[in-house]
Amino acid sequence: MTDRNWDPAEERKFDAMLESGLPELPPKEIVEEVTPWRGAFNRVLVGIVFGTVTLNFLWLDYILPAIGAVLSLLGYRALRRENRWFGGCFWLTVLSSAYFFPALILNTTILAGLPMIQTLQNRMAIVGFALRLAEFVCLWRGMGRVQQKVGLAAEGNGVKSLIFWYLLVGALAAVGYSGWIIFIGVLVSYYFIIRSIYRLSKAMDEAGYTIQAVPVKVSDSRLIKIIGAALLAGGVLGYLLGGSYPMDWQEAQPDQSSDTAELKTQLAELGFPEYVLDDLSAEDLAACKGALKVVYDVQDKKVERAGTKDLRVTGVAVQLAEPEGQWVVFHHFLWTRDINFYGTEAIQLWPVYRDIDEGWAADGEVTGRLLYDRGGKTFAAPYYFLGNQTYTQDSIFWGQQSKTDVFAAFSLPRAGEHCRGYVTYQTRNIQSGYLFNSWFNYTHQRTWLQYPVITAMESRMKNCWNTAGAFYTVQDALQFYPFKEDGGRIHEIG
Amino acid sequence: MEQEIIALLRRREEAGIELLVRHYGALMRYIVTPILPREQDREECLSEITAKIWEKIDQFDLQKGSWSAWLTAVSRNTALNHARRQAAHDDVEELTEAVPSDQPTPEEQVMRQELQAALSAALMQLSFQDRTLFYRKYYYLQPTAQIAAELGMTERAVEGKLYRIKKRLRGRLGGVIHD
Repeated sequence: MTDRNWDPAEERKFDAMLESGLPELPPKEIVEEVTPWRGAFNRVLVGIVFGTVTLNFLWLDYILPAIGAVLSLLGYRALRRENRWFGGCFWLTVLSSAYFFPALILNTTILAGLPMIQTLQNRMAIVGFALRLAEFVCLWRGMGRVQQKVGLAAEGNGVKSLIFWYLLVGALAAVGYSGWIIFIGVLVSYYFIIRSIYRLSKAMDEAGYTIQAVPVKVSDSRLIKIIGAALLAGGVLGYLLGGSYPMDWQEAQPDQSSDTAELKTQLAELGFPEYVLDDLSAEDLAACKGALKVVYDVQDKKVERAGTKDLRVTGVAVQLAEPEGQWVVFHHFLWTRDINFYGTEAIQLWPVYRDIDEGWAADGEVTGRLLYDRGGKTFAAPYYFLGNQTYTQDSIFWGQQSKTDVFAAFSLPRAGEHCRGYVTYQTRNIQSGYLFNSWFNYTHQRTWLQYPVITAMESRMKNCWNTAGAFYTVQDALQFYPFKEDGGRIHEIG
Repeated sequence: MEQEIIALLRRREEAGIELLVRHYGALMRYIVTPILPREQDREECLSEITAKIWEKIDQFDLQKGSWSAWLTAVSRNTALNHARRQAAHDDVEELTEAVPSDQPTPEEQVMRQELQAALSAALMQLSFQDRTLFYRKYYYLQPTAQIAAELGMTERAVEGKLYRIKKRLRGRLGGVIHD
């Protein structure tokens, strides 16, 4: 603006020339645009459409409501002082936004998947529904007030229809109805309601000229930039800081007692891989006391997109002398090179007794731990979560199924070398002749690029496919016939 | 409604005036307000506008512009004349409220047509938003504060945008200005 060096007299002359150079009749499109009402109301209208219709693809179920929320805010901001009903619309929209925008940011963290947060979100969805309904009522009354102000009959059938439509949709959602006929009917009626509101907005052009738009200190474009920047900053922080579990890493203290050394030697002689033995906690190692036989299986898997095989998975089964038929099972993993992305990881365990419960029985809990090396020291941590998870999975083959599986959820440290861990459980052979079949499913997060953010465990519970969005699952099974004398090593390094 | 009002006015039925004021009174007041700040002037002017519309309804031609555009032009020109009368208290030549507004000399008329054509061409080079902003300022004569409030902008932003628009127009209309 520094080149504003026009002479004031010259400028007045130029202004006068511009005024006199305009045609007597302004163009139709300009006349339609120059109104204090149309722009604000159109924003409100588009905000309602974007905020109410949910399209569940290409993230449109987040993008459109976000645009809708911003447009509603801007629209009602301009109208809020016209009457108390429009003011109500504005504050209701502010309240909705105060929940909606932080929820968008929360979705960039794994916190959104916490049961407590999900319960809160479900409750907030009901609150959001009530706020939206109240907004429609206020809109209907506010429009009526504007029409009455200039002596026109209050017309609000479009908004009234919208209120009833929204109540119907809410009722259908509450009873969980998902039939196609009603769905199409609702969609068609919604189209007609929006069209009637649009026509009403045109009719309101007559009365709308009385509206006094509210002067703003922060322009619409700046407000959009502020909201956008806040969402971006919150999202970046969410992805950076909220994408992994808080793990309790402590320096591991090796058990150097003679009993432990003796047990390790004994197990190693039976064929127990030493790199797995070295990672076992004292308690898990002690569970192998009295070992008769060791069966193991080693597989190298490719988990990351680029590069060579990077995850070594080792399954070990130890048969104990007492009690008879008792086995201790270990599923161990070791990252053989640096991980490209450190997000969340998950292990889904299908113990031998999961599918063959006639032959095998559970005996005790699943335990395990994680380890990594740094600067010549070894650090260990318990899993962030280790236990049973009951979940519902949709399958195109078997429909909706409810399942319960053992899961371990965890994150690995960026600075760690030789990141590794294991899970272990005991089982009892209750009837001979059954195959030993224990599965280890390892799910790794390959990239941060996902929205909303879910954890590897949540991904595994949602999808039965090995490749699912940001996640990739590798599977390994320790399988052998325990009743055969030569039922030892089935595989060497694969 | 628009057709009904026009038909009633053309048939010289007073119900047309009543409907006109009910449905388009807000529009007329909206046009007049930036030009006539005093409420008393506005009330007088609104009466004048309805009288002009009653008189000039036969001059309304849909081919030349929309009904709203014609009402806007009549309201604006009547308000401008009212403001000039108030300012001068003498026999300033009035704009005719219907089209055309002035009776210039043939030479002035040619120059004005040239200017209108050049300005019209220059305005078409602007974006629709910029063109609307320009009309708000130079046709509707709206104060910056009003434009800012209705467009959700700050006054400073409006001034900045108008400055840039004028700068572009100045460049494009250079020849016409100096002639």
